[in-house]
Formats: sequence, structure tokens, C-alpha cells
Amino acid sequence: MAKLEILHFPDKRLRTKAVDIVTIDDALRLFIADMYETMYDAPGIGLAATQVNFHKRLIVIDVSEDKDDPLCLINPAITHKDGVETMQEGCLSVPGFYENVERAEHITVKALNQHGEAFELTAEGLLAVCIQHEIDHLDGKLFVDYLSPLKRNRIRKKLIRTDKELAQQAK
Amino acid sequence: MKNKAPRSARETAVVVICDVLQHGRSLTDALSITEELEARERAFCRELCYGTLRWHDRLNGILNLLLKKPFKPKDLDITVLALIGLYQIIYLNTPDHAAVSETVTLCRSGKKSWAKGVLNGVLRNFLRNRASLESSVDESLNLRTSHPSWLTQALTKNWGQQSVDILDANNQYPPMSIRVNQKITSRNTYLKQLEASGISATKNPFNNSGLTLEHSVNVDQLPDFWQGASSVQDSAAQLAAELLDIKEGQRILDVCAAPGGKAAHILETAPSNVSLLAIDIDENRNQRVIENLQRLHLDAEIMSVDGLQPNEWFDGQSFDRILLDAPCSATGVIRRHPDIKLLRKASDISTLVTLQYDLLKAIWPLLSKNGVLLYATCSILSSENSQQISTFLREHTDAKEIKITADWGQPCEHGQQILPGDNNMDGFYYACLKKV
Repeated sequence: MAKLEILHFPDKRLRTKAVDIVTIDDALRLFIADMYETMYDAPGIGLAATQVNFHKRLIVIDVSEDKDDPLCLINPAITHKDGVETMQEGCLSVPGFYENVERAEHITVKALNQHGEAFELTAEGLLAVCIQHEIDHLDGKLFVDYLSPLKRNRIRKKLIRTDKELAQQAK
Repeated sequence: MKNKAPRSARETAVVVICDVLQHGRSLTDALSITEELEARERAFCRELCYGTLRWHDRLNGILNLLLKKPFKPKDLDITVLALIGLYQIIYLNTPDHAAVSETVTLCRSGKKSWAKGVLNGVLRNFLRNRASLESSVDESLNLRTSHPSWLTQALTKNWGQQSVDILDANNQYPPMSIRVNQKITSRNTYLKQLEASGISATKNPFNNSGLTLEHSVNVDQLPDFWQGASSVQDSAAQLAAELLDIKEGQRILDVCAAPGGKAAHILETAPSNVSLLAIDIDENRNQRVIENLQRLHLDAEIMSVDGLQPNEWFDGQSFDRILLDAPCSATGVIRRHPDIKLLRKASDISTLVTLQYDLLKAIWPLLSKNGVLLYATCSILSSENSQQISTFLREHTDAKEIKITADWGQPCEHGQQILPGDNNMDGFYYACLKKV
């Protein structure tokens, strides 16, 4: 298994719209394992394939306290949403920043699991927020897009600066 | 997605203090969430938690004068935020404006932004009328010393004039005392090692292994701590081993042994051919005994059993020495555990007194003839101490008290009492009983 590199905002590749997955095979399952490892190591509670520069509709999630409840969604689609909920969100592609984002409180989502079996899931609270956040990634969207341009620009500048510093330190 | 932002020291302190006040969790347990903070933030958070709970009743008295009506119970976090703000202004060197703005900022995000204005008003009003507000709450002894009235009354009844000193001593910062493992090194050598690491300490005058540090440090900074050279233990608790006066080859029983500090001290100083059985009812706490003894390279038999039911575990071979460190109100260690003032209720005392007596009664038959039982508590209430022994002696004609003659503490009708702060020690009680 290997840890994957997570792209950081404002990397253009995060704006790619992911395409549906057609074949679910062992190679894909190996990649999913790498995604879990990357997410747990970060540590994060959700990771979309887009964030690791793989532009297919695939996300992994684990919102449990003990990190023992992994959930993999392939070709996810939200079929129903209602209510409004504001939660402070952070993102592995926007390290160090946390802002309030408004999303649907309850959602129903259908997807395939890593064995290619279709399932439906209703979610609320943190899980609902996390699924919506990750599906946004597959559509090339980030949580900073919900913020004011002023805030988004400030985050963009700070991240460009810290990423530059990190790159220099690495040299 | 990444979960939420890491909490700041102040935010974490609110969570910890609410946990204690709302769920009755002990401060030591509730503080476990501070592990996630970095070292400096963690130290500040702990300071806020200890200090705010130490002065809770006094701060709350001031807050009540500043509010038209108290916050609702569901807004306990806002009450706590106000108390933390007041604590910083009164007891820490936080500049006034910083204490106000940092406190108010915390309710800006989330659903409690309504409280921003109220908190700002409360803290600014306090700054304007500080002197009169403080002197007004200080007219009450309970509020001035931040103790519940049942405890103030009990202490006044037990200790008369001395009770005011006790109440004040309970609010002092306790020193960090350590015990040098004499099986590994000597106190003089260890003192030199400490000095070489820039840690000043003085010798405990009442035994050969105790040192009191000038400033508290993290145990990682103590020389060879993880190799077993020393342990953290208050000087008062370090008196037990010597009082037991252990001889070659004796069998020793330590009842309610966890976390094992006194058991370890016994093994560090006793002749090497003694055997010690340490029992505690709590299996998780016994894990601490195992870890402590392992670290100190000491060996004892450890059992997770109920001291009240010896028939379930006693093998019939009596003991020459028994240490009964009884569960108690812990009123002698309030300076280390200020949450006791908030969590302990008057009604707990009679339950504890019954439990202590039942333990004494259940364990007594396990003592050999001419054997010695040392009864110890970290309580300063005579119902748990001298009165307890008095009843026991009346009902057990084969028990005789051995008077403790010592330079520490003060004699009671039965046993010897150390009051909090005496020689910079925790409040502690010891009584020695011999089977005749």
C-alpha cells in the first residue's frame, strides 16, 4: 500500500470534473485501499479521488470516533435532500482553514460499493455534511467556493505562500 | 474533509470544566482531552481548569452579582466562559483587555453568538466595579474561600480556629514531591542529578527518600524516571512505609492499593525477602499498579478483588502487616483536586464512613497476632479518622492502638493528623493498630 499525494487549493486539477467508473476490479480496490491509508494518515474523515489526482467518481469516508467504520461510495448520486445545517468544515486540500458552510441536513444517496453492488443510504449530521463535501470535490468544487471572495482570496494567498515555503524547505 | 478545527486552550478548558460540573466527572479524567493540545497550550488549559474550579464558588458569587438572572442550565458553557474570563482577570496576569476579548471571541462562532454582548458587558462591568464586587462576596467565608457550606461547617466543627487556615491552605498550589527509589539510587545522588538538570529540590525532613521540587516539572524531565529512579508522591503519603515498621520475611497486605505508590515505597525500603499482596477492586486501576511496579523494578502479587469479601480470595495465611488506605472524602487533598469541593456532597461522607468501617472489620481477621494494621486516609474529617478508630477499638477487644510519636502532624484522640499545608504536605491521617 502507498500513501498518495493530496493536491492543495488553488491547484487547477482540483477543478476537474470526475467521470463515472465503469469497471470495478482488483486494481481499483488496491487504489481504494491507498485512499483509505491516505485519509487515515492525514488525518481526515473523508477523501475524494479528485484530491489525489484521480478523476473518477470515487470517495472514501470514515466519520467514526474510533476510525473503524469505513465507507466507500462509487458513482454516488444524491437523490433527496432537505433541511439546512451549518457546520464548521475543513478540507485536506485546504490545510489549516476551517469555516462555517451551510448544507442540507438530511440526504439520501445511492452509490456502488467496492464490490460493485448498488446500495442506498440516508444520512444526517456529520456524515451527511461529509458526503456532500466529497461529492462536491468530484464536481470540481471546494468548500471555499461557498465563502466570500475576500475570504477565499485570503486563504488562496496564504496557502500559496506556505506551500512555497514547504517546497523550499524540502530542497 | 477534515473534521473540526483543533480546539484552543480556552475552548478546551470550557469543555473540561463543563464535563466536571455537568456530568460529575473528576477533573483528572476530564483533562484527558488536553492530550491533543501542544505542550504550551496544554499547560495553559490545565491552569485555567484547575484555577477556575479552585475558585469556582467565589467566581460564581461575583458572576451572580453581575447578572440580573443566571444563565439557563443549557447555557452552562456560557457561564463557564464567564468564570474563566473572571479567573484570568483576577488570578492570572492576563491583561484585562485580552481576557475580555479572548473570552468574547469564543462565542462568536457557532450558535451562541447572542452571548457575545452579555459576556462583554459582564467582564467590563467587573473591571469597573472590581474592588466593591470582590469585597462584597468576601464577606461570606464560604465564598471568600470558595468552599461549599457543608464542608466549611464540618471543618469548623472539627478544627475550630484552625479551620480558616485549612480553608486557605486548600486553595494553595501544591508542590510537586517525589520519592527516590532506594533500590536504585540514593537521595543524595538523585538530588545532584536533579541539580545537574537544573531542577532545585529540598529533602523531605521526615524520611530518607523524599524530595520536594521548587517548581513542578513534567515527569519526562526527571532523571531516569522511566528507568524507575523516582516516583511522584506527596510527602504525607511517603510516611506510610516507615510507620509499618516492616521486618525480615514478613507477609504484607496492601488494601485499596491502586495506583500503587505506597506499595512501591514499601517494597523499595523493606528487606528483600518480604512478600506483598496488593489488592484493589478496580481492575483498570490495578493496571496502574502493574505499570508502576514494573517501571520501578519491584515485584508484588496483585489481585483485582473486593476488600469487603476476603472469603472470596484469602488463602488462610495471615498477614504480619496490613496497610488499609481507605476510600475517603479526599478532603485533605483539595489543593491537588479542587473539583472535590464541587463534586463531593455532605451525604457522601456517611456512605464513606460505613464503607471504611466495613473494610476495617472485614480485613482485621486477616492480621496475625502481634501484627500491625496501618489505617490511612487523605481525609481531614474526624468521622473518617479518629472517630472511626475509636468505634473500632470499642468493638474489637483484640485491637490496641500504637500511638504514633512523630515530628509531623498533630495527635488526635486516636491517630495522627496532618492538615493540608503542614510542612507543605497534603492533609493525611494515620492510625496504627496492633492485634493482641
